[in-house]
Amino acid sequence: MAGTLEATEVVVPTSRQDAVAAFGDGGDVTVVAGGTIVVPEITHGRLRPRRAVLLGKAGLAHVTRERGRTTIGAMTAVSELEGLPEPLGATARNVADIEVRRQATLGGNLCAPPGVESPRGDLQAALIALGAQVRSAGPGGERTDPVEDLLVTGPEGRLVLEVEFADPQAGAQSSVRRPHAHAYTILNVCAARTGGEVRVGVSGAGPRAARCRAVEEAFAQAGDAEAAAARILDDVTPHDDALASAWYRSRTLPVLVGRALTDLS
Amino acid sequence: MRLTVNGVEHDVLSPPLATLLHVLREELAITSPKAGCLQGGCGACTVLVDGEPRRACLTPIAAIDGASVSTVEGLGAPDDLSVVQAAFHAHYAAQCGFCTSGFMMAAQALVDSDGQASREEVIAALSGHICRCTGYVKIIDAVTAAVNGDVRTAETDIDMGPRDEETITLVPGSPA
Amino acid sequence: MKAVGARLPRYDGLAHITGRTQYVDDVRIHGTLWTKALRSPHHHAAVRSIDTSRAEALPGVHAVVTAQDVPRNVYGHLEALGVPADEPLLAEGDVRWKGQVIAAVAAESEEIALAAVDAIDVEFEEREAVFDIRRAADPDAPTFHQWGPVYPHFGPHNHRRVRKGDVDRAFDEADVIVEGVYRPQAIEHVPMETQVALAVPEASGRLTIYSCTQAMYFSMGVVAAHLQWPLSKLKFVGGTVGGGFGGKVDTATETICALLAIKSRRPVKWRFTREEEFLVSSTRAPWHIELRDAVTTDGWILGRRTLTLHDAGAYARFSPYGVTKHAFHHTGAYTIPNVRFDGFVVFTNRVPTTAMRGFGVTSVSLAVELHLSRVADVLGMDPLELRLKNANRVGDTTGNRVVLHDPSTVAVTLAAAEAAGHEVGEEYRSMTSDRRTGDLLPEHLVEQQAPEGAHMATFDPTLTNGGGH
Repeated sequence: MAGTLEATEVVVPTSRQDAVAAFGDGGDVTVVAGGTIVVPEITHGRLRPRRAVLLGKAGLAHVTRERGRTTIGAMTAVSELEGLPEPLGATARNVADIEVRRQATLGGNLCAPPGVESPRGDLQAALIALGAQVRSAGPGGERTDPVEDLLVTGPEGRLVLEVEFADPQAGAQSSVRRPHAHAYTILNVCAARTGGEVRVGVSGAGPRAARCRAVEEAFAQAGDAEAAAARILDDVTPHDDALASAWYRSRTLPVLVGRALTDLS
Repeated sequence: MRLTVNGVEHDVLSPPLATLLHVLREELAITSPKAGCLQGGCGACTVLVDGEPRRACLTPIAAIDGASVSTVEGLGAPDDLSVVQAAFHAHYAAQCGFCTSGFMMAAQALVDSDGQASREEVIAALSGHICRCTGYVKIIDAVTAAVNGDVRTAETDIDMGPRDEETITLVPGSPA
Repeated sequence: MKAVGARLPRYDGLAHITGRTQYVDDVRIHGTLWTKALRSPHHHAAVRSIDTSRAEALPGVHAVVTAQDVPRNVYGHLEALGVPADEPLLAEGDVRWKGQVIAAVAAESEEIALAAVDAIDVEFEEREAVFDIRRAADPDAPTFHQWGPVYPHFGPHNHRRVRKGDVDRAFDEADVIVEGVYRPQAIEHVPMETQVALAVPEASGRLTIYSCTQAMYFSMGVVAAHLQWPLSKLKFVGGTVGGGFGGKVDTATETICALLAIKSRRPVKWRFTREEEFLVSSTRAPWHIELRDAVTTDGWILGRRTLTLHDAGAYARFSPYGVTKHAFHHTGAYTIPNVRFDGFVVFTNRVPTTAMRGFGVTSVSLAVELHLSRVADVLGMDPLELRLKNANRVGDTTGNRVVLHDPSTVAVTLAAAEAAGHEVGEEYRSMTSDRRTGDLLPEHLVEQQAPEGAHMATFDPTLTNGGGH
């Protein structure tokens, strides 16, 4: 029986080093973390991997909290993030349902393909707000990037190993309330104050989450949540999709940003 | 690859990226987990992998090589129902039955993880499962009962068994 | 009648909870092939050519079918009821909705079937498409259906009509005219089990077809008609349907599986993906309903004019039947003596629509109830009191001249009022469904009231739709 699934080379590394080696320079490799995004693509014939690296046994699932810093391995399940500092905890709790959260991973969510039909990568906004640094392997070896930079250059060329952030002084999350567990979070606004500095990240307005520097600057200057929130459309350009129109997103975002900044104080 | 399914060890012949759902249904003819959406969104394919509820349609078998899988077929038989099954039957928690397997395995995981659970906790645990027939209330009733050890059997009010003492006379030309 | 009100186990309950219920996809027949369909990517286009040679040459492909393979390609779902056929099983010459099946493949695996579908070459010439029923009903809108913009076979008319009394006079005599437009939208059934069928060729030359249909004999007839086979050559096996809600009456997969099974001489299964189920399986129809009520300031509804546009999608299927049911219920649970109803089945380049719980009726019920609340609002009257006043009573006749013997409007409305904690006036609280007399029988309701004991109202078959103006 001929079939492309037969032709896929599947590697299941059992250590971080082996995972890095298996990923190599990332060319023509499909990384399978929790499988929640990639496996349906394979099932429906939209993705036919030549080489697949399954990370479940590579020892990349871990959460370490010490000396005011939190380090999370890329394979940590989203369900394990629910009790972590805001806005990460609240964002994690809003991802799908409990069974999917047990299979989905931080790394998979961070590397979610740019959202066209469905907004994934909610965690991206939380990590931006937390000022997370991402450790990854790939061409040029291992390196560390601020998460918002990696999202711009594209995390798909890298093997994400772990993220790290300083525990915030305060964190807040605001989103359009989901009607039920099957709904996506249309817009996710995250804010956190770390070391006196406030960072704001938004997912759902554009293909990937983005850092909102205009909002941050306005808030840093005047401390007025509403006025700062009004600057949000300087930072992001909302899009139309099946879940919500650009119009709806544009109207809702300032309200959500305002709430997040207010809750932070 | 090897999988132990409902206590029986199998050598799996499907390719390593084949999903657990595919292996169970197509290779092992274990058909209780259903293909509701093949995207992990409906819960009809949920089975237990090493005791944890997992969407079988999202799980490549290479990721669970050597694991122990439980499905409804391993829960109990019609004349020897498990607590969860008895609860579903007694509470009319199934109509078309297509979503039932997934709900029951999620419920079984709750029963196995000791302790009581409130109705709200039950709802949260089941929130990823879709049912289009029942409106969920009876399913939540059944699982809440099962988890909290309140199980009743499916007694019936009347005996609908064969009535062999009664004869029915057919008169030609008249309605029977 | 010992069973009514008693607790009984579901007869299929034990099978459901032990995982033993056999749905079509659970049937295991050795050698079963997988099916995938080539679907139109265009809403409306001419099909200039179809080349399946590359697909047929792929290893693992056992059969490819197009319109040429169907003994009788064009068949109508309601042909047995006298509705002419309009829909091809496989597209021939043109495609009229995005997702319409052009060809189908049976192969050793799903992957090979998908690859084969990709290998079928089709030349299209795109045409203008229309998606909205109001637009489609405009005289200058593009048409694509051989019958024109609307279904034309309601007897001598191109719409379903109900006429009773003198609606023009009612509108002249009214104190207020209340208008409203109601547009319930398409709804997808979302059964947990997607459309699926399995066709198994028997050594005798017969076909056994495992089907998820809700309408076994109906589907059998559809398959037999397309194949031009006697019914005795088919054996249909049903069983538990994994949710249908009206969406599994369309015989969506059986015939194509049968054709592929005949051509490949192998069992063939076709299971819709969830995406196919959402995108291309039939839905409840969108409707456009315009109501105009002629009312008096003291809350009598003297007359109603109704214009309904029903979105059939690209083909007629069951839509004429749905509009007919809709027409029966356009006065709701209320007695309106003068009515003029016109209902059109309009074609658009959308997924052909079908039945769904309360087919044809939920739309008009929604419109009627919303409209009555609007009328109450305009009149400054309590919405439930308005309903109680105009409620069907024994001896009243509907718009279709059905005499009512046991209407429940009054009882149900009063029960609902009580359950909702909504107080109605004293004279309303004591209302019953008894035959109208006195204040509840004003002049304008006399003619519509059937003689006591009458079972049928007068019916004059020489007049359009049995009577009226």
